[in-house]
Amino acid sequence: MTLTAVEKQALYIAMVRSRAFEEAAGALAASGDIPASWLSGIGQEGTLGAIVQLRADDYLTITHRGAYGFIGRGSDPRRLLAELLGKKAGYCKGKGGRHIADLEHGILGKSGTVGGHAPLAIGVGTAIQNWGGDQVVLSLFGEGTSNRGTTHASMNTAAVWQLPVVWVCENNGYVGNVPASVYTATPDIADMAASYGMPGEVVDGNDALAVHDAARRAIVRARSGSGPSLLELKTYRIRPFAESATDVRDPAEAVAWRDRDPVAGLRDRLLESGELTLADAEAVTAAAREEMAAAAAYARESPFPDPAAAFEDLYA
Amino acid sequence: MMRSITTAQAMNEALAEEMRRDPAVYVVGLGLYPSAGESATSGLVDEFGELRVRSAPMSETAIAGSAVGAALVGMRPVAELHLADFAFNALDEILSKSGKWRYTHGGNDGMKLPIVFLEGIGGYVAGASEHSQSPLALYWHFPGLKIAVPATPYDAKGLLKTAVRDDNPVMFFTHKLGAPGPVPDDEYVVPFGEAVVRRPGADVTVVATSYMVVLSMEAAANLADQGVDVEVIDPRTLEPLDIETIVASVVKTGRLVVVDEDTERCGVGAEIGAQVMERAFTALRAPVGRVANPNLPVPYSPPLEQAVLPSITSIETAILATLTN
Repeated sequence: MTLTAVEKQALYIAMVRSRAFEEAAGALAASGDIPASWLSGIGQEGTLGAIVQLRADDYLTITHRGAYGFIGRGSDPRRLLAELLGKKAGYCKGKGGRHIADLEHGILGKSGTVGGHAPLAIGVGTAIQNWGGDQVVLSLFGEGTSNRGTTHASMNTAAVWQLPVVWVCENNGYVGNVPASVYTATPDIADMAASYGMPGEVVDGNDALAVHDAARRAIVRARSGSGPSLLELKTYRIRPFAESATDVRDPAEAVAWRDRDPVAGLRDRLLESGELTLADAEAVTAAAREEMAAAAAYARESPFPDPAAAFEDLYA
Repeated sequence: MMRSITTAQAMNEALAEEMRRDPAVYVVGLGLYPSAGESATSGLVDEFGELRVRSAPMSETAIAGSAVGAALVGMRPVAELHLADFAFNALDEILSKSGKWRYTHGGNDGMKLPIVFLEGIGGYVAGASEHSQSPLALYWHFPGLKIAVPATPYDAKGLLKTAVRDDNPVMFFTHKLGAPGPVPDDEYVVPFGEAVVRRPGADVTVVATSYMVVLSMEAAANLADQGVDVEVIDPRTLEPLDIETIVASVVKTGRLVVVDEDTERCGVGAEIGAQVMERAFTALRAPVGRVANPNLPVPYSPPLEQAVLPSITSIETAILATLTN
């Protein structure tokens, strides 16, 4: 099934908005407005090929990196940035920072431990199965997280119970500055799927259309009750592990990957095919930057929570 | 009408009643069926089927973590973790993903985590160090959890029904030992945060939970023969804690002993003792006594185990010590 021009344009817009959000968040980290750091997702926006095709009633678990999960699901950039700045108007009233939930858009929250989301994803799958629904859970994780027992316990459980979970490993090749070969025994995380009796597929993570195509097959499979799948998106993070971190990876590597930028890559393909005009592409970028600048201004001007709010929200 | 049933039978009834009442309630755990012997989940699969009585892979992480995920989207899971010792494998899921999740996310969009974690506790069964623990204080230390510690089949049933209906994560601890007890035929619930005075007395207040209530009642009966009038209070839930009932008793008796099967350091006795001193220091006529495991792993051999875990004798000794001060 090929995407219509409108669907491709919508994917491109989501990627551009996500990139613009990342740039705004990076600037707010650099200026010190974000009291912690920001873990930029620049370079990994190809994952949006999977995210944008989720239904409104589907679920997503995210990683610590990037904002494309939120942007792709329709979260409000103003409330996202307000949260990163610790403001009352944020999604978590300033209590979570990077740990953001947007239940309205099916994003269940962010774990402070990598691999913390996988067991939650199978729980959501359990609920869907028990209610007899046809929603799916898309669960993102990094190749480093493939080391964790939570990941394996959850992949096994999803397979045993035939849960509607789509596991998506974003393999950006590094934990911090350490290359994956140091900590992961197999070069292809997708190979782990065989251990759990599910399909596993390596995908070019910087090709959003390829990601879309592979994810569509996995989502259809999950939605039909045929169980989980594992996709591995080969990608690269352009920024350091965190905006506050020092990057000692080989600069030549980043240069090479910049040439394969997922956002520019999709733009060029759509320009070539005539599904996007240069004027439209420029307008999309300008609108996204304007939107995120306004969101940043909103977040900066937004008030901090009253200290008394620290004593709220523990129990329902 | 009353019947005499075991704690496991009482919990089984509570689960069946709550599962009939609310289709969102389900049980997940290792080896739930076919079940050999009597347990809280025996036979539930026959009535509710395999989706609502989920036999899980051997992973406490998957059991506890899936409960969290399901709760976030409207289910009311009961996660059977069997022994508290095993549940250490799922501490990230229990402490951080359930206990702190709502707060971290600012209660986003009415976020609720209605989960019951069932954990068996206690020694006196030659279980050695990793099948005998009672880590109540560990869970009490962390924010966001509620903690139920029933001492009788009656309370096990009534508290479990309350736990299932609570919109927050509840740690539900039951001891491996415990005699059958009277449970009414008619439905009832036991609210959280209401201690019960198991035995009224004028001279010394003893606070005990779970199987320690049984041992403390024996000690109190023995001391009554010596003319010492012991009041035994069972808080039934540690979080929320009915400190008012405890303080009122200490104001009356002037003496407090806390009996806890867990290791003593930073334990239940330390916390209750501190709270009583903060609220009723001038009422105390003797130092607060603590009876607990002296910070050792529980050994296997029965004479060694008896040397480490609280006993009727060690409770009596602690009570008498408060009277000689």
